[in-house]
Amino acid sequence: MRDWVRSLLGMWAIAVFLFLFAPIVAIVVFSFNSGRSLEIWDGAGLSAYTSFLANGVVHSAIRTSIYAAIGSAVIATLFGSLAGIALARRPGKWQIIFVALLALVLVTPEIVSAIALLIWDVRLGESWSIFTNGLVRLWIGHSLFSTAVVTLIIRARMAGIDESLEEAAADLYAPPFRRFRQVTLPLMFPAVLAGLLLSFSLSLDDTIISTFVSVAGSTPWPVYVFSAVRSVLRPEIAAVSTVMFLVTLLAVAVVALVLRQSGSNARDITKTLTGEYGGKSRA
Amino acid sequence: MLWILFYSFGYKPDLYHSIATDRLGLAQYQLAASSTFFQTFMGTLRISITGTALCFLIGFPFAYWLSVRVPPSRRPIFLALILIPFWTNFLVRTIGWRILLAPAGIFAGVLHFLGLHSTALEILDTRGAVQLGVVYNYLPLMILPLYVALDRLDPGLREASKDLGAGRVRTLFKVTLPLVSPGIIAGLLLVFIPLSGDFITATVLGGAKGNMAGRMIYDQFLIAQNWALGSAMAVVLMLLIAVVVLFFGFLALTGRHIIRYRRRVELAITA
Repeated sequence: MRDWVRSLLGMWAIAVFLFLFAPIVAIVVFSFNSGRSLEIWDGAGLSAYTSFLANGVVHSAIRTSIYAAIGSAVIATLFGSLAGIALARRPGKWQIIFVALLALVLVTPEIVSAIALLIWDVRLGESWSIFTNGLVRLWIGHSLFSTAVVTLIIRARMAGIDESLEEAAADLYAPPFRRFRQVTLPLMFPAVLAGLLLSFSLSLDDTIISTFVSVAGSTPWPVYVFSAVRSVLRPEIAAVSTVMFLVTLLAVAVVALVLRQSGSNARDITKTLTGEYGGKSRA
Repeated sequence: MLWILFYSFGYKPDLYHSIATDRLGLAQYQLAASSTFFQTFMGTLRISITGTALCFLIGFPFAYWLSVRVPPSRRPIFLALILIPFWTNFLVRTIGWRILLAPAGIFAGVLHFLGLHSTALEILDTRGAVQLGVVYNYLPLMILPLYVALDRLDPGLREASKDLGAGRVRTLFKVTLPLVSPGIIAGLLLVFIPLSGDFITATVLGGAKGNMAGRMIYDQFLIAQNWALGSAMAVVLMLLIAVVVLFFGFLALTGRHIIRYRRRVELAITA
């Protein structure tokens, strides 16, 4: 083994990490910019943080984002879990069509899904006023993609669980629901948690679908930022982003801890956190 | 999605309506294929193909390093470090580049310090900035499937190849790369498809010069309110993506056949 190849790879890795973190560091540093424009440094200060705490529009945007994320994560986890169990346990002749449909959802460029959703929302909104509600539109739009992701994660997990465990419970006279609650659910819990977390963060992060389907009055945070890009970028955006960044870090740490408590080793945790990609590459 | 197809044959009736479908025709496609839009489509393809290739060139050595050189106990930490930027808001990360690439910003300062560039940096609001931005934004999507594939690979296979006298390069090309090819394909698709439809990076970093197809669709739907033209563009974009994916898939398949055929000939000669 030649050493220079090894050190070259190591240096490459450091460079990749620098590349990945450079803009995030920039955002965190510039959130302490006391100037009026984000991009021009004008002395350090906490004015961005104080002004975002006082800004009602920012508050309502963040609130909308969180409501949308909770709603779509719950919808996606519920439907995705059920669909994933069905795919893993009772594959029928429709399975191929269903999996093809899931793959189609995953490979459609997001902008195409977004305009399709907009067209549907407008058409359905003519007859049912529920489709003109901004939050409902966000729930539908965000849960579309994440349901497909959750389905694949759950299917992968269920495929790895021996069905004889459930059969044993049935032999011991556990009724179906109790069987599900006491045997199946605890076994698939890490995957459900991963799915919930992923769909929550996918929804929080989503800009493309949100831009198309959101209506005035329920603007989620990314859409607010996106409209700011077109006018003027204020340091408050960096301040909110820094806070959100810390929250994300905390959430990842909590999930890793929960998974460790439930007895998974480091390899499993990694697999769960990156579950989406394992699932996607298998699709 | 069928509505998009249907709408793409429609037209924009007047200033106050975004769509009408009582007369259907191909007029919107003619418009979408006209020279200005066509240039943007081609520019998008160039950016997305280059971007995917760059992501692979940057991501592969990294995924290799992570799965081969890093001891398994420390891998989760490094993986988490990859996931953190990925979980930070897409838009915000891109805005971060605006700060870094500003004419008198940090990047310009570093280049100036190294003596590589002396005048104000003019990369912001160009195609170059968009190219950089998309590589940055989609790099984790390339690294993760590559890592998963490389991680599953038994290190014994590489050692066996070396024991049989194959050099480093030969082992890489004849053992490692063919065995992780599903991961490579997944990574390429995961990067290429969303990248082609991306309009956020182009809007944040591209200014007027760095236009992309996604942004044209966005403009037609939400600004010009011409849903028919927007739909037609979306259909063209999907067709282009499908053509590129099929083209490279075909290329990879024929390439594999040629290699197999040649190997068979070699074996026949040595036998």
